[in-house]
Amino acid sequence: MERPERAAAALGAQPRANGCSGAAHGGLRNGYVRGPPASDTQIDRIVHNGGLYKRPFNEAFEETPMLVAVLTYVGYGVLTLFGYLRDFMRQWKIEKCQNAIEREEQKDFVPLYQDFENFYTRNLYMRIRDTWNRPICSVPGAKVDVMERVSHDYNWTFTYTGRVIKGVINMGSYNYLGFAQNNGACQQAAAKVLSRYGAGVCSSRQEMGNLDKHEELEKLVARFLGVESAMAYGMGFATNSMNIPALVGKGCLILSDELNHASLVLGARLSGAAIRIFKHNNMRSLEKLLKDAIVHGQPRTRRPWKKILILVEGIYSMEGSIVRLPEVIALKKKYKSYLYLDEAHSIGALGPTGRGVVEYFGLNPEDVDVMMGTFTKSFGAAGGYIGGKKELIDYLRTHSHSAVYATSLSPPVVEQIITSMKCIMGEDGTTFGRECVQQLAENTRYFRRRLKEMGFIIYGNEDSPVVPLMLYMPAKIGAFGREMLKRNIGVVVVGFPATPIIESRARFCLSAAHTKEMLDTALKEINEVGDLLQLKYSRHRLVPLLDRPFDETTYEETED
Amino acid sequence: MQELERGSSSESVPRSQTSPSACVSSTRPRLLPLGYHFWRPLRRKQANKQRSMRARSSQHLQQARMRARRGDGSLVLFCRVKMNVGVAHSEVNPNTRVMSSRGMWLTYTLGVGLLHIVLLSIPFFSVPVAWTLTNVIHNLGMYVFLHAVKGTPFETPDQGKARLLTHWEQLDYGVQFTSSRKFFTISPIILYFLASFYTKYDPTHFIFNTTSLLTVLIPKLPQLHGVRIFGINKY
Repeated sequence: MERPERAAAALGAQPRANGCSGAAHGGLRNGYVRGPPASDTQIDRIVHNGGLYKRPFNEAFEETPMLVAVLTYVGYGVLTLFGYLRDFMRQWKIEKCQNAIEREEQKDFVPLYQDFENFYTRNLYMRIRDTWNRPICSVPGAKVDVMERVSHDYNWTFTYTGRVIKGVINMGSYNYLGFAQNNGACQQAAAKVLSRYGAGVCSSRQEMGNLDKHEELEKLVARFLGVESAMAYGMGFATNSMNIPALVGKGCLILSDELNHASLVLGARLSGAAIRIFKHNNMRSLEKLLKDAIVHGQPRTRRPWKKILILVEGIYSMEGSIVRLPEVIALKKKYKSYLYLDEAHSIGALGPTGRGVVEYFGLNPEDVDVMMGTFTKSFGAAGGYIGGKKELIDYLRTHSHSAVYATSLSPPVVEQIITSMKCIMGEDGTTFGRECVQQLAENTRYFRRRLKEMGFIIYGNEDSPVVPLMLYMPAKIGAFGREMLKRNIGVVVVGFPATPIIESRARFCLSAAHTKEMLDTALKEINEVGDLLQLKYSRHRLVPLLDRPFDETTYEETED
Repeated sequence: MQELERGSSSESVPRSQTSPSACVSSTRPRLLPLGYHFWRPLRRKQANKQRSMRARSSQHLQQARMRARRGDGSLVLFCRVKMNVGVAHSEVNPNTRVMSSRGMWLTYTLGVGLLHIVLLSIPFFSVPVAWTLTNVIHNLGMYVFLHAVKGTPFETPDQGKARLLTHWEQLDYGVQFTSSRKFFTISPIILYFLASFYTKYDPTHFIFNTTSLLTVLIPKLPQLHGVRIFGINKY
């Protein structure tokens, strides 16, 4: 693994092959790496990213067309007005109220809930509720069986028809390498371990829950990541929320990306450190925050911060963007802070051998101080891990809340992780793992290219297996989900307030288990639905990210 | 009162460890004239300080005391980050950003234009009546949606901080003189000018237009942020 300082020298060398035919430095298209690399690369200049990237970094977030934005607001406006009308009718008993209401005896009390806060749920969400929480009744592999349900009162209640929709192409599961299966080597190994160890551990790691399987897993994870030591936990969410408080505390500073996951945000909040947010993937914003933090120190006393921790994710699952890791590491070294990288979605999915975003950029895993990830996505199991230096992990073994209080991983799950990880590394004697990683990369490139050619607006990086397709209008959210299910494809749709108001989207998660035929079928149906719903908004105007002005006047709530 | 003085007097003492940033003010902050900030928006801490210096009533004084204690003159923005379950961003209250998002101003302008055209199409209304009606209905709608309805139509992870705040008070988390606020302050004034012109300054129309303009301009004043007169619309 080359260090960033030598990245410039390596720029002319063989590009990595992650399904990407790469290009010499002259052909890099991303607008970031420009010109020949300087012969003497100092760290200060690397911050302005001359020669940090060995491969094209193509990320695009096409701007919303103005007409679409106006129509989206009109749509929300009409829905709001109808919502008020329906509320009025419900209040005057013209229409039956299906929501829970206060009891008659308690009408004069101070109300428990403010019914305006429920406005969006009962007037907008209920109308398209059937696109979410669909019960499935098979293993969520490349294809899944969905239980059919109908509603006779506009989604307030559902009844099962008894039919099962079989063979729905699953574009919603985080099944990146296709290990979510109920047959195969992983399943057999897990079944054997289940009959030997049982299902539960009945204790936390520190008491009686430390099995030899856990030790084996941790050594394997450390070897997989290329770090000194690792520790595994039972729940991915709990890994973040319970370990960040163990690493930082009062008097420390956390610099967190705008779009970080709730687990990172919760962990940061529980730690008691000061939190500052930088704009999503915007290195100038991050550098400004770092400079200000070091120059001004802590708020009132001006003392230097005890620690500065940068929280980023490998792949952001709602945007499909990949973190600019070379620049983050260069910044981290320049300002002497620590880096916590959450590879929940990128481990197994990026990099020529699936080692994650660090390998994808060709960096040294020792540069990342805390490498966190989950086993839920690419390994088909459950749980999370943290990898890093031996002193760090030994400290976490005693100080982490997860280690002390939470139950340890269940043995069959551990065996699933071990088998799948060995498969990815190629240690089970086959090249199946490597093929999966390459298949995923090919699927990603193919799917994204085809969707862009069709004219949809797709967010995110070209190599990210998470593909958000923009829908924008509230009615299209429901329509897209339903039409796709009619055509036997299961997708995940997201709308306001989970996303910004004009950026509702459908999110496809690609898998190595998807064959080209499945992708072609899916693309054909998406094309049809796109024509039907008029979703092809793209005008092929890619906004280069460098030109996006860094808005200094952001107004955020102050700290208490 | 004493805490206010303490807060402001600490600003005039020069710090022994001065940071090289030019933004840290070591002089006593001036009380700038009221209209000054309309064109040069302040950052939140400065806005709070200005507001705290103008505070006279006890309610404002209490809030001002809380804010003066927090302020220290530094220009770095602090952010409170909440756990947002199931959302793709760390925005605590999406309502604060709605009015400044892309295309909102255009939609609003088109909506007002559509309302006017509909009113003009009704054969019973003369042009002055149509203009006055546009003005009045627009101001009525603006009052109801921006200054009467409180809270958010969805649950926010900040445990209901904005439950008693109208949408206007929630905009940009309470920072005054942002671009959205300026836009939505100027647009009823422009509509008033147009209505006055097209009604040829007729006295009856003037009374209607002016009163409805006042109902929509007075709640927008920064001095009336969070103020509920006679307890109307308090809870």
